[in-house]
Amino acid sequence: MIQTKNLCFKYEDEFILKDVNVEIKEGSFTTIIGANGSGKTTLAKHFNALLTPTKGSVFVDAVDTKKDALNARSKVGFVFQNFEDQLVYSIVEEDVAFGLENLEIGINDINKIVDKTLTELRIDHLAKQNVNMLSLGQKQLVALAGVIAMKPKYIVFDEPTTNLDEKNKRNIMSIIKRLNKDGKITIILITNVLNDLKYADYVIVLKNSSVIFYGEKSKLSGRILKEAGLNA
Amino acid sequence: MLRRFTFGQYKDRNSVIHSLDARIKMIYVIVFGILSFAIKSKSGILIFSLFVLSLIVLSKMSLSELIRNLMPFYFIFVFLLLMYILFSRNQLVLGVIYIWRFLMLIIISLLLTYTTTIQNLIVAIEKLSKPLKIFSIKPRNIAVMVSVAVRFVPVMFIRFDKTRESMLARLADLRKIKHIKLLVMVVLEKMFGSASNLSDALQSRLYNENLANKKILRFNKYDYLSIVFILILIVIIY
Repeated sequence: MIQTKNLCFKYEDEFILKDVNVEIKEGSFTTIIGANGSGKTTLAKHFNALLTPTKGSVFVDAVDTKKDALNARSKVGFVFQNFEDQLVYSIVEEDVAFGLENLEIGINDINKIVDKTLTELRIDHLAKQNVNMLSLGQKQLVALAGVIAMKPKYIVFDEPTTNLDEKNKRNIMSIIKRLNKDGKITIILITNVLNDLKYADYVIVLKNSSVIFYGEKSKLSGRILKEAGLNA
Repeated sequence: MLRRFTFGQYKDRNSVIHSLDARIKMIYVIVFGILSFAIKSKSGILIFSLFVLSLIVLSKMSLSELIRNLMPFYFIFVFLLLMYILFSRNQLVLGVIYIWRFLMLIIISLLLTYTTTIQNLIVAIEKLSKPLKIFSIKPRNIAVMVSVAVRFVPVMFIRFDKTRESMLARLADLRKIKHIKLLVMVVLEKMFGSASNLSDALQSRLYNENLANKKILRFNKYDYLSIVFILILIVIIY
């Protein structure tokens, strides 16, 4: 479980997050929704210790991210909004292997995991391709493969369908659903698209750096979404 | 647009050059780089050129690929030639020879990246830069820096092109210093943004600068044969 306790984050004298208290339950599909600039990405970056709280705490499986950032990063994978910048190496299979090398896994195992991950995502034919030559949809899948290969317990998807066409959007969303249902991976989806709420078990609504709703999707009302500046 | 920036991109081919150890290929690039400018005699240059030509054939690089890869250097060659014509009229042949040497150097570098995956290059860089540990320089940092540069240089060109087009579409005059400055600033800002995102991604994927690459590189028979061949070549040229 990921838990935040009175999480505050300040950047240049301005609070980006104020007193956030939420829990991400294991195996759940949680959607963080809010208007642009409401603090969604900042909150998610605390889950894998890319940011640490100015005040309060974040716990990943009961371990404080301030005390053990590596624990958070090895458990919480992150697919960034600008996924093109997430790709470190030029060749697809090499990029997917990057995180595995950092986990100090043996070469033979790395090769097996990379092959398996690429096959699962049906991009094994791209293994030797240069990432600069891929389409946006393909790059998104490679970025995702790099995270899935590390077998995280939780994965944060930061607006994963932005800039994608309808076909690629559907493909990515069906993969995310599959990871949650079949792979038992806890999903944290950041979005400002109301339609993406349909996948969620739990919803966190952010407005002006604060959580205005946190709970089961069935309890979320249109009024709250309107209050958050989202057209319900 | 991306396909214009093809210099040095790896192509998976079943060739002798591809099968050579990445470390030895890197050492050869240094040796050949020195050779291409150190050879004095015209016969030596001819033999060396034939050797480079044979390397191109052995690497299974097509003529169209070679031309496409060399196209970005076309203006540099023309510029160098013009400089020789304008300022060294009596040494035009010398100028052509220098451009030829430069061309050989580019082709040799191109062959390295064309026949070696970034992964293998990085492992080779890490292994070859191990002695730098004495100066507290971490080989993995060097290796990742190289890989990031290879990955993002084409991205920078694309961003440059896109920004230039969007500025031109809004009637910018790129002969004006003010607009050139703006173009450079915008591209730099975007690249800094990417660098920040990349830094997050590296941390998120548990980047560890102290980690030693476990990939084992082994010499095969072609590596040993190539050493013998290169030594013979150097003796013939000199």
